[in-house]
Formats: sequence, structure tokens, C-alpha cells
Amino acid sequence: MYGWIWRHLPGPLPLRLVQALLLVAGVVALLMFVVFPWAEPLLPFNNVTTQ
Amino acid sequence: MSYDPPAPQGGPPGQPPRGPRPTPYPAPHPVSRFPQGQPPETGPRPRPVPPGATRHVPVASPTDVTQYTAPVPPAPVPAGPPRHSTEATRYVPPVPQAGATQYNANAFSGSLPPPRPQHPVQHPSQRPPQRPHQRPRPLPVDPPTEVIEPVRDEDEDDYGDDYGDKYSDDYSDAYGDDYEADAREEEKPPPPPPDGPGRKTVRAIGELLITAGLVMLLFVVYEVYVTDLISAGKQDDATAALDDQWNANTVGGDQQRQAQYELIEGQAFAKMYIPVFGPDFKFSIVEGTTDKHLEIGPGHYVGTALPGEPGNFSVAGHRVGKGAPFNDLDLLNSCDAIVVETQTQWFVYRMLPKNSEVANWASKASDPKCAKVAPLGGPYAQTQGQEIVLPSQGEVINEVPHVADGTTPKAEQIAMMTLTTCHPRFSDKQRLIVHAVLAMNYPKAPGFLPPELKEQ
Repeated sequence: MYGWIWRHLPGPLPLRLVQALLLVAGVVALLMFVVFPWAEPLLPFNNVTTQ
Repeated sequence: MSYDPPAPQGGPPGQPPRGPRPTPYPAPHPVSRFPQGQPPETGPRPRPVPPGATRHVPVASPTDVTQYTAPVPPAPVPAGPPRHSTEATRYVPPVPQAGATQYNANAFSGSLPPPRPQHPVQHPSQRPPQRPHQRPRPLPVDPPTEVIEPVRDEDEDDYGDDYGDKYSDDYSDAYGDDYEADAREEEKPPPPPPDGPGRKTVRAIGELLITAGLVMLLFVVYEVYVTDLISAGKQDDATAALDDQWNANTVGGDQQRQAQYELIEGQAFAKMYIPVFGPDFKFSIVEGTTDKHLEIGPGHYVGTALPGEPGNFSVAGHRVGKGAPFNDLDLLNSCDAIVVETQTQWFVYRMLPKNSEVANWASKASDPKCAKVAPLGGPYAQTQGQEIVLPSQGEVINEVPHVADGTTPKAEQIAMMTLTTCHPRFSDKQRLIVHAVLAMNYPKAPGFLPPELKEQ
């Protein structure tokens, strides 16, 4: 998977490194601001109220 | 491995046969070892044996001793060493090395002889007198040598002797094979591995698993740290909005009006301080206890009493992440102050005695902080300062905790405050509950702060 992505990044090595870092940053941002906020209430970690 | 040559040499190698040798050594060894051509050299040899040789032998190993004894009498003995040292070889040029080597192995490894020949060659005239002393010494030493030598001849490795042949053989073989195999691989350029479908699948699964682990680690970081940052921003916004509202209303407002609250879910309506948690512990309390509201700060259970009112002013807060306002709620002790600030008043609540303190409360009642705190009776008999309950036990935030709403007349209700958070930390299996009673209130005035805020 990662090998496939790396092979399909265009350009010389420095350019590829930049692109790879951008991809990682994008995935992390997606997780932090979209996926985790959505998933967190579904997980049994932080319910603080009584019913 | 290096010892291979010696093994074949002695038909009797490792075994007792050597025991007898000490006595016979002079006659048999010299004769067999040295062909007639060597005699000229015998003259010089005596010297090596005596001084240095004798001492060195015992220290190095028993085998050396044996060797030593053999060489002494006939002088020819040194021939044995040639394989070990070049000097010995030089000294006895006529002797065929192969034959000499064999003899050494049979009798005793020839490590000793090399040094001896040197001395005699250099100083032939000086040393002769020393011989007589040296001869007697070798004889007594021999017995130990016999025992040890056989062992070496049989096994190639010292480890084999100590730990058993199986272990040493397996280990050495396996290691040797691997090592050799590695060496071969290194020599050849590694062929490119074929990428079959199976290989691709396994690799993809492995990468996915690693990715899943990283995502989970990232989630922990998010839950514990990132949500703090997000919540801090929301808390600041809510506090700013509350300050604006209070300031707007007080400008030109009449000081006489009673507390009025604009309760809008998601908006702050009061601030809370817990002085023992530090001067920077202050949160704006918002209305509502949904996840969205609690992200902003501690949330007021809708429908419960308001600050200062008779009844149960109940607030929920996160314990991990999201600003974690109630992170240390389990560290709160009885009589500790919880200060609530509204637009017009300060309310000081103090935590009730814990269950373990009720019996001996008299001892702690002398503390000035506890002046207005005491175990409650009547309908509040079940209400203690701290309790841990199941999430389903909503009765802890009733008007009178653990008592159904409506059964206690308003006149008998006291002004209480209840804090709820999750328990244990990082889990939602239970709830940590803290109950407090209203101990003091002050009207707000410019420049006035309740003295309770300075408690440590």
C-alpha cells in the first residue's frame, strides 16, 4: 500500500518527500477534525452524566 | 574446529594411557621424536627447560606441565612445539614438522618447548648449572596433566566438556551453518524477491495493522490533548460572552434586582472556582449536559436548582480531555470550598463529610472551614460528601439525593450542589459524585472577592 503510493508520487526524491508529508498531514487532519469527533461519543470513555 | 589435527594423532589420545607416561617420559619420547640428525641441537636445549619454562608451565595449563616434564631429560623434547611457534621450528630444522607435530599431540600439546630453545641459543654457556634443580620438579606435577589432556583430545570445544556433547555440537553446528549460509548470501547479490499475490496480500495486511495501531495512538493523543485545546477555545468564547452579558446588564442597572438567569442551552450563566485546585481553576458553567455542551465546560443539569436556591444545583464535567474540569475531583476533601459566581452574588458551597468521616466528625468540626458543615440528617441521611455510583443512578441529582422528587417539601430542602464526572478515569463504568452544601453567600460588589477564594 505505502509502496504503491510512493511509486506513484511524481518527481524527484525531495519532491516526493514533500508530497508524502503533505499526504500524512492531510490524513492526520482528517482524523483529528472529522473522524475522531464523530467517533468519540460512540466510545465508552468519557460519559460523565447520570441518567 | 582448529583442533582437528590433534584428534587423529593419538590412538590413545583422550584416555588414561598418559598416566603412566610421567615415569617413562625420558626414554620413549626423545627417541621417537628426534631422528639422529638432531643431536647437535640437544646441547643448547637444556637451558630452556630450567628457569622460565618450569614456572610458566603450571600457570598456563596442566598440559604445559606435562610437556615440560617430557622435554627436560632428553633435550630433544622441544621438537614438539614447532607447530605452535616458529622459533622452535628454526631451532630444529632437520626434523620434519609433520612428524614433530604428531608427537606433540600424542604426548602433550607442545606449547612449552618454543620458549626454551630461544634461551639456550642466546646464552648457551651461562645456564647449564641450573639444570639439576629443574629436573626434580617436573615429576610430581605430572598426574594432574594426565587427567585433563584426554578431555581436550576428545572434544573440540571447551563448552562441549562442560555442558555435554549434544548441546555443544548442536549449537556449534547450527551457528556454523547459519554463519556460512549468511556468508554465501552476502557474496552473491540478492535476487529480487518475486512479488506473488500471496506476498502482496500479506504485506498489505501488515501495513493495515500497523496503520490501525498508529490511528489508535493518534486517537489517544486527540482525546487527551487535542480536545483540551478545542475546549479551551470554546470555554474562552463562552466566558467572554458571559462577561459581556454581565457587564451590559450592570451598566446603569439597578443593584436591587435579584438573581435572574437567562438560561439558554449552550450558553454560560455562572462561573465556578475550586480554590484548592489552584487560583487558575475557573470554569464558566453552561446550561445543558449533552456532549456538545460539556465540550464547552461544566454543564448544568437542566431542571435542577440554580445557584443559591434550595434544592440540588447539579453540574457535570469531563474528567479526561475537553478541558477536564473535574480531573481531580476525587482529591476534593470535605469542607473544601466550591465557589460559584453569578451575575449578582457569590455562593460558597462546602463539601459534605465523606462516609468514613461521619463517625468521627467531631474531631474535624473544629476546623473553621467546617463551621457550617456537618453530617446531614432527616431526608439527607444518605447524602455523603463523596460517592461512587452506577451511571443509571440518576437519583444523586434529585432535589434531595436518593429521595424521589416531590416527597420532600420545599421548606425542608437545603441548598446543595452536586458534581458528577466519570469514574474510574478513562472509563465510563461508574460515576464519581461529590455533594456540597451552601455555607456562605456574598453580594457582588466592585473589587470584592470572597475570602474563600484564597484557601489553599
